[in-house]
Amino acid sequence: MRNLDSEVYEVFAQSDSLSPHVHVFNVQASSPEMALVLAEENFFRRAEFVSLWVVRRDHIHHLGFGDRDGFKKTAKPYRTTDDYKYLRDKWRYYREHPMNPDADRTSTQGGHEHDFTRD
Amino acid sequence: MNTTSLAIDRVKRTPALRHLVIELLWQVADDDLMIGFRDQEWLGLAPHIEEDVAFGSIGQEELGHAVHYYGLIEALTGDRADDLALLRETSARRNAVLLEQPNGAGDYLHDPHFNWAFTIVRHYLHDVWEMTVLTAMTGSVVEELAQAGTKILGEKRYHRAHQELWLRLLAAHNPQQLQDGLALASQWGADLADFGPMAIDLQQSGVLPDAPLLPKQFADEVTDAFKEMSIDLPIFQPGLNGRQGQHTAALGGALTTLSEVYRLDPGARW
Amino acid sequence: MSQQPLISDREAYFLERLDRGDRIEADDWMPEEYRRQLVRLISIHAVSEIMGALPEKEWVPRAPTLYRKLAITAKVQDEVGHGQLLIRVAEDLMRPWGKTRDDIMEDLFAGRLKYHNVFHMATPTWADAGIIGWLVDGAAVITQGMSLSCSYAPYARALQRIVEEEGFHIQHGESICLALAEGTPMQRAMLQDALTRWWPALLMFFGPPEKSELSTNQLRNLRYRIRSKTNEELRQRFFSKYVHRIRSLGLQIPDRTLAQDAVTKEWHYQQPDWDLFRQIVNNHGPRSQERLGLRRTTYEEGAWVRRMAAQASSV
Repeated sequence: MRNLDSEVYEVFAQSDSLSPHVHVFNVQASSPEMALVLAEENFFRRAEFVSLWVVRRDHIHHLGFGDRDGFKKTAKPYRTTDDYKYLRDKWRYYREHPMNPDADRTSTQGGHEHDFTRD
Repeated sequence: MNTTSLAIDRVKRTPALRHLVIELLWQVADDDLMIGFRDQEWLGLAPHIEEDVAFGSIGQEELGHAVHYYGLIEALTGDRADDLALLRETSARRNAVLLEQPNGAGDYLHDPHFNWAFTIVRHYLHDVWEMTVLTAMTGSVVEELAQAGTKILGEKRYHRAHQELWLRLLAAHNPQQLQDGLALASQWGADLADFGPMAIDLQQSGVLPDAPLLPKQFADEVTDAFKEMSIDLPIFQPGLNGRQGQHTAALGGALTTLSEVYRLDPGARW
Repeated sequence: MSQQPLISDREAYFLERLDRGDRIEADDWMPEEYRRQLVRLISIHAVSEIMGALPEKEWVPRAPTLYRKLAITAKVQDEVGHGQLLIRVAEDLMRPWGKTRDDIMEDLFAGRLKYHNVFHMATPTWADAGIIGWLVDGAAVITQGMSLSCSYAPYARALQRIVEEEGFHIQHGESICLALAEGTPMQRAMLQDALTRWWPALLMFFGPPEKSELSTNQLRNLRYRIRSKTNEELRQRFFSKYVHRIRSLGLQIPDRTLAQDAVTKEWHYQQPDWDLFRQIVNNHGPRSQERLGLRRTTYEEGAWVRRMAAQASSV
């Protein structure tokens, strides 16, 4: 039987040298060399690229547990800057009202009304 | 989801149910806190740098799951999750004894001689057990448990697939290391899949459907997996039962580390 | 084609490409000296990330709250991840020499490859973890930001990913430090002590100030567009960015001479002990040997795992 996946090449291109290679589409071709030529003619009639890759489809391994819901991750706000949005306001506040190093902080603890750390 | 599902604030007002849910949550929360802690000891020290990052994610997610479970207990008791996780006595801890064991000699700060095969075996056993529990949990009458089950299962699949790959590598190329790791795990692992007498109540209340059947389901799955790899599964010796609050000194050490800074001033904002 | 030897033609063309703003890829021809400079720079950066995970990692399990535990473990994991990116970039560059990441690690253990001074320092309190996130990563972003314009494309691409994550790291550090600054007297004292402890190391991080003439190494790296700023320019930028913020928290910077010239905007400061700096980066810092020992032991004991994985992949 013909292995159609061995004739299909996935095409990846990089638009400038700082960008990642991005998947463009795919072509049917008889060899990698042919796939490169065809990809260039098919997908870059207008757009420019600095690098072009083709990968035979059956050489691609992909992750799968039969269930795409399995790719969903639990929320990880602690991994991003989302939880730290309050910092900007704090820095602005302290720029205008610098802390006094000699003051007794116990009296002002919690006195900075904005307690962002626990929400 | 179960048709007669209960939100957690209803559970809160039903003492018997509340007690059961909390007991179940202690087990999974304390398990994940401990395995997460042991995983993190490897951070920056794993045998291979890509693996270091991957294993780092797993440990992080374990801790994240623990935080989620402690959060549910917080909702039921009004106690702060940080206090629940960091300040409880060892005798109140319900994690399996296997999970509190160190990764090897030494610790993460001083002269660690960690055992990769044991780490993988232990983690795999934990993953299979937690997946068994979570799968049952998806059918819980308690809404928040059913949701937690569904959500966390997704990540557990990755964890388990990851450990299985390493197990197969070990079985094929270093069966002796694997066997030694298993032997070590078998000294402690008997309480891992154990709800004790509350199993029947968990089932009858609908908090955890099939609870009494889960330990056997776990044992069968693990036995089959090792049989397939042609690895002899040792007998797991009954010993201390962490599910009843019996623990080794390793737990105390871990908790001292985990709460070192927090205890300086638990009332402070950190 | 002219009668000149081919190599200089190539080299001239290479430099012309750099001047045009072209970036170089791993499989492009490059002068051996360019490759050597890059391997050195990127290997140092890589091992600094790998060793740099350790000081903060000391605080991963001890982080005060569950939230801080999650955040710092994510942060330290990112640092290891940066090590991974850089090791891969370095390995591709070393391929013509038949060298791999194993050689990088061996060079590190043998003291042939240095890692950044800051990661030789002790981290005795939780506030040290905060200062690392806020100010050490802040300093690192300043140097890495410069390197984003590096002519070697794979390094620039790795740095893009790294700098993006450093944004999270710095805010994580700021968040810890702000909480301590706003906290109890014990927490504030902890933060002030950590700042005092780290200040000289932070200044050293950028390297000694340039004499009136740049070293040949620096000139070469500027010519190759591997770097675009001097150590002193980067340090000045650090002062401008952080001095007022540190002071706004009521913290004392342990340098009474530190001041900005009203006209030239240049910062005057007390030079750290550069002899001490050289000792530190030569693995005679406060924690150099312990951390190297930690890494070496686990690396050696993990050798069988790496062999096993390699064995499996060669089937």
